[in-house]
Amino acid sequence: MAKQKITTSSTAEYFSKNLQQVGFSSPTKAVLTTLKEAVDNSLDACEEEGIMPELTVEIKKLGAGTLKNTDLVQISVEDNGPGLNVEDVPSVFGEYLASSKFGRGRCSRGQQGIGISAATTWAQLTTARGAKVITKTAKMRQAAAMTVEVDIKHNKGTIKDKKSVDWDRPHGVSVEFQIDGRIQLGGDGGLVSYLLGTTLVNPHLTLKYRLPDQEWQTIKRVSEVVPEIPEATEPHPHTMKLGEFIAHSHLFGKMSLRSWFKKGFSRITDNTIQEFVKNGLNKKYIDESIDKLNETQFKEVFAAMQKTELMSPSTKSVITIGEEAFSKSVRRLGEVDFFAVVTRKPTICDFKPVAVEVAVARLKTPERSGEEGEQQATVLRFANRVPLQFDKAACAMVNAIETVNWRTYGISQPRDSVPLGPYVIAISLVSPFIKFKNASKETVDASDELVEEIRRALIQAGQRLSRHIKKESREADLEEKLRHIEQFCPILVDCLCRIAKAPAARKKKAAEGLVKLLGRDINQAKEHLEEAVNAAEIAKSKGKFQVIEEEKADVIEATEVEAEMEKEEGKKGKKGDDKKKSKEKGRKGSAKEKVAER
Amino acid sequence: MSLEKVSDIPKLSKNLCERLLRDLEEAKRPVLQAVKCSLDNSEYNPKVGYLTPGAKMVRTELNVASVQKMSRAIFVLEILLRNLETGAVNTKREIYYICKGEVKHDPALKPLDFQDQSESDSVIDFICEMLECYREELNCYANDRGGQTYSNQLVVTETLPDGTKAVVDLSSLGTTPFQPKNRPQSLRLKAKKKIDFCLVVESEGTANTLVANGFCKRHNCILLGAQGVPSNAVRGWCKLISEELSVPIYFFGDLDAYTMQNIYRTLKAGSAASLIRNADYSAPEVRFLGVLPEDIKKFDLSDYPVKESDPTEGRQLKKAADALKNDPFFRDKKNKGVAKLLEWLIKNKRRCEQQSYFMVDPRDPQMPEKIIVEKIKRGEYL
Repeated sequence: MAKQKITTSSTAEYFSKNLQQVGFSSPTKAVLTTLKEAVDNSLDACEEEGIMPELTVEIKKLGAGTLKNTDLVQISVEDNGPGLNVEDVPSVFGEYLASSKFGRGRCSRGQQGIGISAATTWAQLTTARGAKVITKTAKMRQAAAMTVEVDIKHNKGTIKDKKSVDWDRPHGVSVEFQIDGRIQLGGDGGLVSYLLGTTLVNPHLTLKYRLPDQEWQTIKRVSEVVPEIPEATEPHPHTMKLGEFIAHSHLFGKMSLRSWFKKGFSRITDNTIQEFVKNGLNKKYIDESIDKLNETQFKEVFAAMQKTELMSPSTKSVITIGEEAFSKSVRRLGEVDFFAVVTRKPTICDFKPVAVEVAVARLKTPERSGEEGEQQATVLRFANRVPLQFDKAACAMVNAIETVNWRTYGISQPRDSVPLGPYVIAISLVSPFIKFKNASKETVDASDELVEEIRRALIQAGQRLSRHIKKESREADLEEKLRHIEQFCPILVDCLCRIAKAPAARKKKAAEGLVKLLGRDINQAKEHLEEAVNAAEIAKSKGKFQVIEEEKADVIEATEVEAEMEKEEGKKGKKGDDKKKSKEKGRKGSAKEKVAER
Repeated sequence: MSLEKVSDIPKLSKNLCERLLRDLEEAKRPVLQAVKCSLDNSEYNPKVGYLTPGAKMVRTELNVASVQKMSRAIFVLEILLRNLETGAVNTKREIYYICKGEVKHDPALKPLDFQDQSESDSVIDFICEMLECYREELNCYANDRGGQTYSNQLVVTETLPDGTKAVVDLSSLGTTPFQPKNRPQSLRLKAKKKIDFCLVVESEGTANTLVANGFCKRHNCILLGAQGVPSNAVRGWCKLISEELSVPIYFFGDLDAYTMQNIYRTLKAGSAASLIRNADYSAPEVRFLGVLPEDIKKFDLSDYPVKESDPTEGRQLKKAADALKNDPFFRDKKNKGVAKLLEWLIKNKRRCEQQSYFMVDPRDPQMPEKIIVEKIKRGEYL
């Protein structure tokens, strides 16, 4: 082998040359990833301190970028979180793998401490300017403003232009990046989809944002509860490899093996230790200090542990949005017609705790007139409440959607594909150990167990929706049958009479007979509709699905208007009530009334 | 099956409408019955040699769901009856547009409007099944596709609708072929000289080549190109040749599952979709001349593997396996030879084209002709 000089490089050097691995593979993705990382950090910080997050996001196009076909884009994110101490700012924004969350086994959005430093690096590489940060904690009288850069050679954050500034907030962090990038608003990978998705799975978030050439938008929170982040649980012995196992022991110093087992792992009790002994663990080691065990002895301990059957890991470390909050949040997706939400109990998939929540909603679309459009349903994927927007084909969540037979629930679907129609299928996966296919966290690995768990949630949601869809299709069926009688009876009788050369008297009698016999079919259709309506009502009352009724909204508006009028006129009038009633009555132009008319 | 004569169709239709009307007057649900034209209702009678309908019937009861179909059927029937009365003929496509025209002129008929020709086609098929008649009997003809015929001995006499007769001597047509009509019942055949055989070639192009190279000059024969799956015209024409001239008919086509199932079987025994008219549109005496598996060996012909990964070819193989199990034609012991050939194709997954005969002696343009004639002489056919 030729003698070559072996050099070592810093983590920052590695990532600065491989930014594509962490979501900066194109100018479009660079904008989205920068925004995503800043928002994730803000939300995690707020939740950590039990603060209701209020985020202000602004994205501006400042001019042409230095790279070919790019713009100079400014992304700023401001939060009302606890704020960062000035001494922590360089490590948070300028140092790779500096994280308060790494390997803790908690369901936080960020895990390794790579993302935001990568965003600073991208800004530095493309515009030669780091991240502008303003921070203020509750203890600080004035906020501190500074520019953070990554010292790529030494993987350290450096601060420039630090100064004290007045900031009208009690606490929080504001970060601003200027990067070369391209702004994509629409589509699966667009900024709009990201922002809406983020609000969907964070019902407690109030988001104020402005995108280029648009006005400020505010999406208010629909839940007043900050998700309680459960304490991390100790690692489960069966999720460890030998090297990890030995390294884990170093964290505990001098301690007997028995105590280490009980303190350093979950699901190990005295009984389990007895089982280890039965499976080949040398009894002598149990009360030995772990710092005295050598590698061979660790191997023996590890082997005995692997042979023993253990209880599955605890699911306590998993948080869910909850059906109630998720239901409220779904309404923020747009004009929702009806929807169903399912929160599955946390369970174990591939030996890791995981919780799956799904929402299936149908949007009101102007073109929908009984038949669903041919467009594929919109799929929103979330991992630890972060939207996943790329590489959806290989994702466990999309695989699960494709394996469900949506046709059973009245939703059209080409074979083994995502269903069609104006539906939104949102799947949120929460786990302290989500297995992503890549470092940029775009696709969740599709293991059989995980796909099955998501599939079950989707099936439950589909079943809940089917009652409403069935009711709708029965209504449409009745409408169509009534229309058929009206349209075809005269034509059929006319043609028959012409061919049979029958006189007018027979024509009248035949027409009456035809309407009479088809009337029997209508009665049957009415019965079917009634059954479907009852079933749907029962399901609805049990909260299986929710229908957003337009009437309700209208009534509220009308009442408000009337109340104002009453205030003005200073009198209560019966008139208003009558008006309201007649208005409500007018809107209920259902199939039933049409039946009666005929 | 009791097929009534063409002239009875108006009467049959009137009776049908009368029955429907009577049921309606009594507020009774009218029921229409039609022969089920599908493979599961097909029977093969080795004595007659074609697929015949079984006992299964399709019942269409008038209800709110079928009232549209029924109204459309009676509406189209009226148009077809008008054609029969005036002697006008139309293609299915023309009928589609006539229907659209009627709807345009009478807005009350708007609900009947067809969005696509397939809708009006299925209504025409439904009427045929209901009245148990051929589409041609309703003066509705398909395009005269395939069947271009050459012969130096054949004379065709056609009775025209006005009763006059036209006589066509095929030897006087030069290189122009005779095109048989969709309604061969109006044709009569005569041979000026004894005709030894009739050769049906799957590829129209190859049939033309054989004629151009002097096939018909050297042999007393009738030569015709099928142009793929035989149309009603070709099927009826072959039946007529077989019946009127009593000459043996040989089919020469590719050696593959598609040809065996879709072309040869249809020519010889009709199809499941046309169960009610197979009696007049099949030629049970047709024999399969080649390409045979032994020809590949004997003449060292180039053949190709059937790619199962190719959706079309893979489907054909699956269909072939299905045909051996469910198609009464292939299951009958009378057609054991053809069934064995199909088994060979499934097992070996090879295919060989009719044009491969041209490779035997590339410098002799008459080589395919020689092989064909030799095979007929030696009786090397199924």
